[in-house]
Amino acid sequence: MGSISFRNVDKVFGQGTGGVKALDDINLDIADKEFVAIVGPSGCGKTTCLRMVAGFEAASAGSVQVNGRPVTAPGPDRAVVFQQFALFPWKTVRENIELGLRNKNLPVGERNDLVASALKLMNLETHVDAFPHQLSGGMQQRVAIARAYVLDPEVLLMDEPFGALDAQTRVVMQEELVRLARHNPRTVLFITHAVEEAVYLADRVAIMTRRPGRIKEVLDIKAVRERENWDSHARIEDVMDLESFVHLRTHIWKSLREEKGFKDV
Amino acid sequence: MALVASRKTLIGGMTVIGLVGLWFVLTTFTGLVTSARFPSPAEFWLSLKQINGRGYAGSTLASHAFHSVKLVLMGFTVAVLTGVPLGLWMGWNRRVEAFINPVFLIIRPIPPLAWIPLAILWLGLGDAAKILVIWFSAFVPSVINAFTGVRNIDKPILEAARMLGTPRWRMVREVILPASLPMIFTGLRLSLQASWTTLVAAELVGALVGVGFVLNMAQQDIYPGMILVGMVTVGVLGWATTLLLARVERRALAWNVAARD
Repeated sequence: MGSISFRNVDKVFGQGTGGVKALDDINLDIADKEFVAIVGPSGCGKTTCLRMVAGFEAASAGSVQVNGRPVTAPGPDRAVVFQQFALFPWKTVRENIELGLRNKNLPVGERNDLVASALKLMNLETHVDAFPHQLSGGMQQRVAIARAYVLDPEVLLMDEPFGALDAQTRVVMQEELVRLARHNPRTVLFITHAVEEAVYLADRVAIMTRRPGRIKEVLDIKAVRERENWDSHARIEDVMDLESFVHLRTHIWKSLREEKGFKDV
Repeated sequence: MALVASRKTLIGGMTVIGLVGLWFVLTTFTGLVTSARFPSPAEFWLSLKQINGRGYAGSTLASHAFHSVKLVLMGFTVAVLTGVPLGLWMGWNRRVEAFINPVFLIIRPIPPLAWIPLAILWLGLGDAAKILVIWFSAFVPSVINAFTGVRNIDKPILEAARMLGTPRWRMVREVILPASLPMIFTGLRLSLQASWTTLVAAELVGALVGVGFVLNMAQQDIYPGMILVGMVTVGVLGWATTLLLARVERRALAWNVAARD
């Protein structure tokens, strides 16, 4: 089980008159095993939404709940994949993936099995003993995803996970994430400023306004995807060529462009 | 890589040979610098032979050197074992920082050498006073760099560790300590340097054995050859201990890209 809900959430950074309102009355429900992407102009507070679910930030008003329980602190039930990977440079690939399982006090045998399957899942078997700095950016993010997946979290929080990768690696990772999500679906909150990525990956896309961020619109991608049978196309470029895909993408683009803070996407 | 390294060694070697050549020229060959001011290579060699054979200032060079190294390592170790944990703690816990920082701010501007008279008054001319003074001087860089190390840890790394549910002690051992380690080693290098500086100064002021004592005696005997022997010995010992530390560092930070060049 893993549902996420934002109820009338405000977030103000700083205090008193110097305070800046980052989020304004956010309401969003993410169902169990649903993949929701949030897109929005830079600085709209989309990452703050994720950080509140992770337990790194507290809401100034309203409540953020996971499985009906208010979030109070970070924990392994809400695994995070960071934009800058945030691997432990002094730990090998295996040790990075293993730490969360050790923290859960799993017996060694079970731990090894889980690590082995995570390594296999992310095609990391040949790099088990490498240190992060010996790996490419794409490989490092695979490790970070494996580290999150191996926890078997109720929800997976991905904060622009492919933002630091080059375009080609990014496409490969997106395809792989789709493969993962279809094969082993779980609740995902995915932050991105790349519109195509959101449409390609998510079941629903929430569009935010510029600061103070509000949810402007939520699009049901899954309905279109299933109706138009996107999954029959193996390659991302084939999906992106479909009229139904282009239509959704253009819609989101237009919606974002109406926001004054829109610069880069 | 190997080529660059050997070339570096070659250039370094040439510089040393050049300096020794200049030394010969200025003293033995031209007599521009008289032996009352600076010893010639021959005089240096004679002094070295004397202290290694008959001994000087009570014992041979080896036992003077051994004694100094022993004190440096003891003072340095005590300083590191107390300074690094305190620095880590201050870096991790704002309350500890708030509590200790004022004391630190008052004590820090006092040059470590200014502690020597008090240390001798308390503990006499023996080893304990010197270890105490070395501890004072080597403690500060250890604390400050460990503190800075913790404060400079990438925030996402800490968040990742918390997200993974890492318990407190494992957090210290497996995240905070290794993440601060590059800075900690910077502190250790400075601490080691400070240890040597302080030790020699302390031995100059009051000691009965040690390299600083050799220097002090040679000055009183107006013996430039032996003064140079003492200076070179300090240089060599300082260099050797630094090299040792660098080796430990390379091993401990094998994972660190920045440490490789």
